[in-house]
Amino acid sequence: MVLIRDDVVRPKAVLDLWPLRKELAFIKREVDWVKIGALTTIEEICSSFLVRDYRYAGFPDMCGLFATPYIRSLATIGGNIGAAHPLSDATILLLTLDSEVKLVSIRGERWVKLDKLFLGKRRLAKDSSELITEVRFKEVPEKSSTALLKFDRRWGHSMGYVVAAAYAQIKDNVVREIRIAFDSMGRPFPERAKKTEEFLRGRRLSEDVIEGACTEVLPKEMKRISDYRASAEYRLELSKVLLRRALLRIKSRIRGG
Amino acid sequence: MSNSLSENRYPYIKVKLSVNGRDYEVSVRPYERLIDVLRYKLGLTSVKEGCGRGECGACVVIMDGKLVPSCLVLAVRANNKKILTLEGLAPEGKLHAIQKAFLDVMSVQCGYCLPGVIIATKWLLDKNPSPADQEIKEVLSGQLCRCGSYLRFVKAVKLAVKYLKEGKVYFDIQELKGSPLRGG
Ligand SMILES: Cc1cc2nc3c(=O)[nH]c(=O)nc-3n(C[C@H](O)[C@H](O)[C@H](O)COP(=O)(O)OP(=O)(O)OC[C@H]3O[C@@H](n4cnc5c(N)ncnc54)[C@H](O)[C@@H]3O)c2cc1C
Ligand code: FES
Ligand code: FES
Repeated sequence: MVLIRDDVVRPKAVLDLWPLRKELAFIKREVDWVKIGALTTIEEICSSFLVRDYRYAGFPDMCGLFATPYIRSLATIGGNIGAAHPLSDATILLLTLDSEVKLVSIRGERWVKLDKLFLGKRRLAKDSSELITEVRFKEVPEKSSTALLKFDRRWGHSMGYVVAAAYAQIKDNVVREIRIAFDSMGRPFPERAKKTEEFLRGRRLSEDVIEGACTEVLPKEMKRISDYRASAEYRLELSKVLLRRALLRIKSRIRGG
Repeated sequence: MSNSLSENRYPYIKVKLSVNGRDYEVSVRPYERLIDVLRYKLGLTSVKEGCGRGECGACVVIMDGKLVPSCLVLAVRANNKKILTLEGLAPEGKLHAIQKAFLDVMSVQCGYCLPGVIIATKWLLDKNPSPADQEIKEVLSGQLCRCGSYLRFVKAVKLAVKYLKEGKVYFDIQELKGSPLRGG
């Protein structure tokens, strides 16, 4: 809507998906999957079972930081993914859960890994006739949790300068599994920090290891940009700080259960 | 928005709305926004366009129980929906407890943001009749006030909570002593 109002885009036709809410607004557990319909709003996600489960504590993190109540009541999860924007908070969190997206068109349906979906800012690896109808991820095991952190100027009300999210399974202080995602790793869409993940996987989550991940490994694989909102140096510094905080937060969440 | 898309090749679509308890049927272009229908077709000018992009909260209305920015809702999406704007908050000649509370604490400076703030408060109190300070602040944090009346808004919401708990929902405008509405 904003892009149309500002004359950035002039669509020949606009398709209102809202009437499909009857079928596509849901959030449920099925066997070992969590499934979210594309037209589920952020508000609905924020009052679902996800915000009451310590393993999915990244969702309440996200809810508290996602725009305002009146945007959360309109913003859908499908739109957050479809926007293909570096600062799509929900999408960044879903990347850490290794989510998959269901694409449906008259030719049929297919599942695509979320981390294979983005080609550029507002560009997706799908054609325009394909609709996102669902996003799903495997239930994560015990002793694991998620976190999302965001730095912005107006607390929670706009897109952040830097958004970081992580999922980790930690047993006996050893990182069994880990996935980290940022608003951008260099390209203008959310991506995983795979080298940093690799460095952390299997290690003891000691102060030195966290320090190494944030100050040595992450800066090697991340390229930040400067623009009118923040400089590249500042963004990188924030990224290191947020990653450290996310890891510590997950650690204490797993301990707290 | 209507400037760039004003060509008549777009057909009119009939939309049924129930606004403030009254039923309307309006013909809208597919690209028309709810805010424009409310302001220019129904004359409900309490709905303000501050930013037109979902950032200021001046245009919020309650649509089927949800707080939505009417500048980001296509009019067609409001078909068969119930909408509440400030005009529908109290019967003719009366003020709602929330309005009275905002007057009592003298929270109004220029007043441009007020309709949105009051509607957001109504939505909050419908959901939770005794919100904690933090919740009040979180909900109202989406409502920009250029005059910076924020602290008094929180005071006003708490006073409105008190009125409503005492069962005082409406106040007669004629009986408001010393109220700015009577100039006294
Ligand atoms: C004031 C303001 C504040 C915001 N703050 C935040 C924030 O804090 N965090 C954040 O992450 N985002 C924020 N946003 C961005 C936006 O609200 C979210 O990205 C939202 O989730 C978009 O959902 P939507 O349903 O409105 O999608 P739309 O805006 O309607 O669509 C976005 C794009 O996705 C496409 N699309 C939508 N649904 C589908 C589908 N089912 N299948 C295929 N394509 C689809 C559309 O064609 C369009 O290109 C903000 C926006 C505004 C206006
Ligand atoms: S005019 Fe709609 S939010 Fe500002
Ligand atoms: S009172 Fe002037 S903008 Fe709020």
